[in-house]
Amino acid sequence: MYRVAVSGINAVDNPGPGVGIAKGLKGGSLEVSIYGLAYDAMEPGIYMKWLFEKSFIMPYPSAGEEPFIERLLYIKSNYGLDAVIPALDAELPLFIKSSSLLESYGVKTFLPTEEQFKLRGKDHLPEIAERIEVKVPETRIVTSYEELSKAVEELGFPVMIKGIFYKAYKAFNISQATSYFNSIVAEWGYPIIVQQVVTGEEMNVVGVGDGEGGHFGLVGIKKLWITSLGKIWTGVTVRNEELLSATERFVSEFKWRGAFEFECIVSNRDIYLIEVNPRFPAWVYFATGVGVNLPDRLLKAALGLEPERDWDYPAGKLYVRFTDDFVTDMSEFQRVVTRGEN
Amino acid sequence: MGKLERLAINDEGFIFDPETGNSYTVNKTGLFIIKFLKEGKSEEEIVKALSEKFDVSEEDARRDLVDFMEQLRLYGLLEGENV
Repeated sequence: MYRVAVSGINAVDNPGPGVGIAKGLKGGSLEVSIYGLAYDAMEPGIYMKWLFEKSFIMPYPSAGEEPFIERLLYIKSNYGLDAVIPALDAELPLFIKSSSLLESYGVKTFLPTEEQFKLRGKDHLPEIAERIEVKVPETRIVTSYEELSKAVEELGFPVMIKGIFYKAYKAFNISQATSYFNSIVAEWGYPIIVQQVVTGEEMNVVGVGDGEGGHFGLVGIKKLWITSLGKIWTGVTVRNEELLSATERFVSEFKWRGAFEFECIVSNRDIYLIEVNPRFPAWVYFATGVGVNLPDRLLKAALGLEPERDWDYPAGKLYVRFTDDFVTDMSEFQRVVTRGEN
Repeated sequence: MGKLERLAINDEGFIFDPETGNSYTVNKTGLFIIKFLKEGKSEEEIVKALSEKFDVSEEDARRDLVDFMEQLRLYGLLEGENV
């Protein structure tokens, strides 16, 4: 029995990947007991006892390394903990930095390196695109109104206005562009990315790199239906050879280690790289559902076991996400609030 | 392998493109034409077959065929001059 902690168990309108990861681990070949790591007593995963045997409220990563590691070691010493699969961007730098320390306490991870993690910034996309021979929408990085208007003049409307890590809006005129610019700066700060709009099919690939240039499986999908927050609610598996080989080039060129999501726009034979996420996406259960159980494989890699590498999934499998509800006792909530665990 | 050969087509006229994830529906006539195109039949052969099957003049059949193929090209399902 392996004891594994998983974060991102906020299965809300902007769902975290944790529930999907847990479903994969439960359906995998290893016998596991899963702990949920939460940042709020309201995170629904805490109450999903059929997936998470126990859950723990964690200190925010911004509070520093020490309280965070201490909390993990508390879990380890009281309940046992063999591995952690972090699933939120905000935690990753801390986990990456502390991975050797955690390993010395017997808590395993399988994460990208610090350099790989940095590639998630959209300002790094041109560099990645060049090395793996894909295209990237024409991009300007701006920090002032002056640069913004120069960029939109050069690119022509419509343009995408994006934050380095979060938010993306399509602007059709200068007043929209300025308003999106302001709203992203207010929330996330500078710089702002101004990008040419590329038309084509939006496709994503989820995978786990082995850290040596190979991988433990890839699954390519197209989002068919997304919510107003851009979250996938219906999707379909695709087998687009250009997309899959571009992803393999990415894994091999950067010797990617751990989970990732590779987001692209495919226009005929051209692949435009849009974003790289250094973790599982919230729809990771889709991969498990088509026979490529990536969370299970990642756990094996973390534990030093040899994961499977086959990934011959079929095209045309449909992913359907839905909302669900259940009733539990108030005492469950009380325990989380008062003890920080349940 | 050409684009058409990769399409998954069922008898009810539902078409799935495994490369792009797009799906389409076609009517009986469209399905009839696509099946012939997949088999690599020439435009003349398809016009003849359409005219016999649906009891229309070859001229009408050719016009509909050209129109339909143009739509397929528009959706990126037909590459270049297939026939």
